[in-house]
Amino acid sequence: MYLVEAKALADGELAQAPSTPLPSDRWESFPFSRLSHHGSACCDLAREWVIAADYAQLNGGGLASGPRWLRQKYKWGPSAWPMHWCEVVRLDTIDCGAHSALAHEVFAARGLTCFPGQLVQRYSTDATDQWRGSWEAAQSSCHWLDGEHIYHEATALLVGEDKLQIWDGSAGTWINPRQGRGYGSVAAVRIFADAPLAQHPGFHWGEQRIRPNVWNQIA
Amino acid sequence: MWLAGIFPQGHPNLLAPAMGALKRIAKPAVEAHHGLPVKVPTFVSTDLPDWDLHAFCREHNWRVWLKGPYYDAARTPTWDSFVAARDALAKVWSTDRLFLQAHVTGYEESVMLAAYRGELLDCVSMRKRDITPEGKTWAGDIAPVQPEFGEPLRAMVRELDWTGGGELEMVRDASGELWLLEMNPRFPAWVHGATIAGHNLPALLVEAAAGVPARKSQAQASEFTRVVLEVPVREDYPLPPLAEPLAGAVGHSMKHPSGLTSLAERLHKSNPELIELVEDMSEGADGAPQLPDSFLHDIGGYDLAAVQTPQFLYLDSTAGTLFERASQRARRLSSNEVQVVSGYSIKTNPDERLIRLALDNGFLAEAISLLEVQKALEVGFRPDQVILNGPGKWWPEGMMPKERLHAVFCDSIADLDRCVAAMAAGEMSSRHVGIRLRTPNVVSRFGIPLDSPMTFGKLVDAVARLPEDSAFGVHFHMASSNIGVAQWWHLFESMLKWCESIERLTGRTIEILDMGGGWFPDDWHAADDDRFARAVERVKAALPGVRQIVSEPGKAMAQPSMAVAMRILEIQEHEDDYVEAVVDGSIAELPMFAFQPHRILRQCADTGALQPLGRGKTHLMGRLCMEHDIVASNVALPDGTRAGDVLIFCDAGGYDRSMSYVFGRG
Repeated sequence: MYLVEAKALADGELAQAPSTPLPSDRWESFPFSRLSHHGSACCDLAREWVIAADYAQLNGGGLASGPRWLRQKYKWGPSAWPMHWCEVVRLDTIDCGAHSALAHEVFAARGLTCFPGQLVQRYSTDATDQWRGSWEAAQSSCHWLDGEHIYHEATALLVGEDKLQIWDGSAGTWINPRQGRGYGSVAAVRIFADAPLAQHPGFHWGEQRIRPNVWNQIA
Repeated sequence: MWLAGIFPQGHPNLLAPAMGALKRIAKPAVEAHHGLPVKVPTFVSTDLPDWDLHAFCREHNWRVWLKGPYYDAARTPTWDSFVAARDALAKVWSTDRLFLQAHVTGYEESVMLAAYRGELLDCVSMRKRDITPEGKTWAGDIAPVQPEFGEPLRAMVRELDWTGGGELEMVRDASGELWLLEMNPRFPAWVHGATIAGHNLPALLVEAAAGVPARKSQAQASEFTRVVLEVPVREDYPLPPLAEPLAGAVGHSMKHPSGLTSLAERLHKSNPELIELVEDMSEGADGAPQLPDSFLHDIGGYDLAAVQTPQFLYLDSTAGTLFERASQRARRLSSNEVQVVSGYSIKTNPDERLIRLALDNGFLAEAISLLEVQKALEVGFRPDQVILNGPGKWWPEGMMPKERLHAVFCDSIADLDRCVAAMAAGEMSSRHVGIRLRTPNVVSRFGIPLDSPMTFGKLVDAVARLPEDSAFGVHFHMASSNIGVAQWWHLFESMLKWCESIERLTGRTIEILDMGGGWFPDDWHAADDDRFARAVERVKAALPGVRQIVSEPGKAMAQPSMAVAMRILEIQEHEDDYVEAVVDGSIAELPMFAFQPHRILRQCADTGALQPLGRGKTHLMGRLCMEHDIVASNVALPDGTRAGDVLIFCDAGGYDRSMSYVFGRG
């Protein structure tokens, strides 16, 4: 997403929010990140490499293992968008949108059911101020920062019939559904599911129920 | 166990489980776990023959733990590390009764319980959130035990008539399955962490035993962490003196953690039945390996008394049967669309008898140098039955056949360019020309790497330079005996994905797939046809253009085909039944001694019978004046063994033979 578009979307959503806004209001109609494809060999090769390398990295382990190798390959930090496949494989640092887009691709290539995920997380204004500085220094959009809250992207993996696990590709960890408050806790979750799962009454994420395609506030 | 040994039926004032309960939770089987929603990782006793222990390690991809009877575990990713760890652990715990257990990858979690006279008082779950370098809990989060675990746990506690604390240590794998590693008959070290979360299990236990109500615990947090705290030492209880460092040794002066090792030694002596807790899982095992009848038949055909030792013995019928069986399997797996053919890796053993067997049984010859090509041609292979591989395919200069080879696989981009140029100049011809892929995520020095999109791009560009009038192919090779059988099959699947990508990106159809190798004989020959048939079907589905699959068993063909005869020169008996026997063979004839066990036979001087050597306290030392020339450890020489007797080291026909060297012969 281009910076100008991102800022306009975020500001517009904030202006329309009710008087006591929910943490997720700022990102109500915010789209999840996708990698672009040039439609030519450069991106074909990059995508083929990521998918084949991911399977090799499984090392005989379970298919539902988190693709931690991607976090080892990439540091987390500001990225320029739009981002193409042939570009992402040449980078050393990518943001959470690119991390989650890559994780979604590799989980799907393994034959697993997974969904793009958006989170609002609580940190502190000290932390978000620091990140704002880093992102501004890199001339990247700070649309993802809002006071003590941040917008974050992750990948939700369907385990069994209706259980979710949420992979935070930027951290290389599964997000702990038990953490209801405090630094790094999840304030809201939205996952994007297509039919037929779009009508699902609610997946289990720990003790939480997550309905697809809407923001779910986490108590 | 010491306490339980004194009070086998328990004691009213003793808040600990009785001997009967302890026996039923003894690791590794943890017999009492049935009913709990857990599995126990596969394990074997180290009482088994080394041959079988090596098989266990291969089966589990060398991701195994060698564990002692109480605690301590060592990762043993190679055979020599296993042998070293076994010696060390056996000394620490004063017993040879150890076990090997398959590793389970996942997150560690535990359930702590308190019970009194078979009634579960409370239980609580803890996930490790930070661990020490030894894998011990440093921080964790506490949660109630889910009913699907708690109810069967209650039943188990009742059945065991458990009194005291307890802890079930588990791993949750990627699919959510719980694996039980062990059950400890005590409260864990994180017991206070649970109290922070409002679960004071020791208080409940005392309350049940004493009838005095415990004060209700208040939950302060659901997570805990440890900190390092330095406190003043009271003058009336000063620190004890530090133990003297062993003279000249490196490292601190501390003993093995805690005095448990000394206690274990005392327990074994004073109360030997206690160690039965971990012994009865391999009842009847004497460490003597099973040997194929054909070994005994072939070795029995030699007049061993007349054999000049050390001497390699060719096992004629064994070798013949192996090649015939492989040939039959290849025929069974072949179809009109895809031919399956075996390749004999000459380097595994260039003995002409084996190369001829390969020829007679429809194998292709796999050569890694032009001298090996020459050897294959001398035995009778046609050039179009030869596959040329590896980085040394141009060595020695000037020996490249002018006739068309069956296949050439390029080991690097530079090699590919040289092959392309040679073919254009008419200096080399091959029906198939392809690439060897370097195994991704498994360390190898061979083949074209795939480790970055840039190197992958170079590979794709290079394939475009291959001549169109030769069919395209891909080769990959990794010794399954080194990485494990399941890991090899994962690599196979992974390689198919890379091949699919290469086809899509280059537009070249893969027509020949050459895959190996380094199979341990038992893994190759004992595997049922179904596994290989499924692999062929996978190739057909993924790469429909493949017309020929070359399967390279590697040492699986050569290793069983020869043995080494050695003579005992002298036997020295030491204290505690420890024996050193010197033989006239050495690691020069058995260079694979550190990588694999060898099944050993002794020919009885009186009856001529061949007796397999079991587990014991004898070390067989080679003739060389080299400290590491020990050809076998911890074997038992049968009664009556004396200097002059012949020992036959089987399984020596592969790299033992081809890499044996002249040393110490003047």
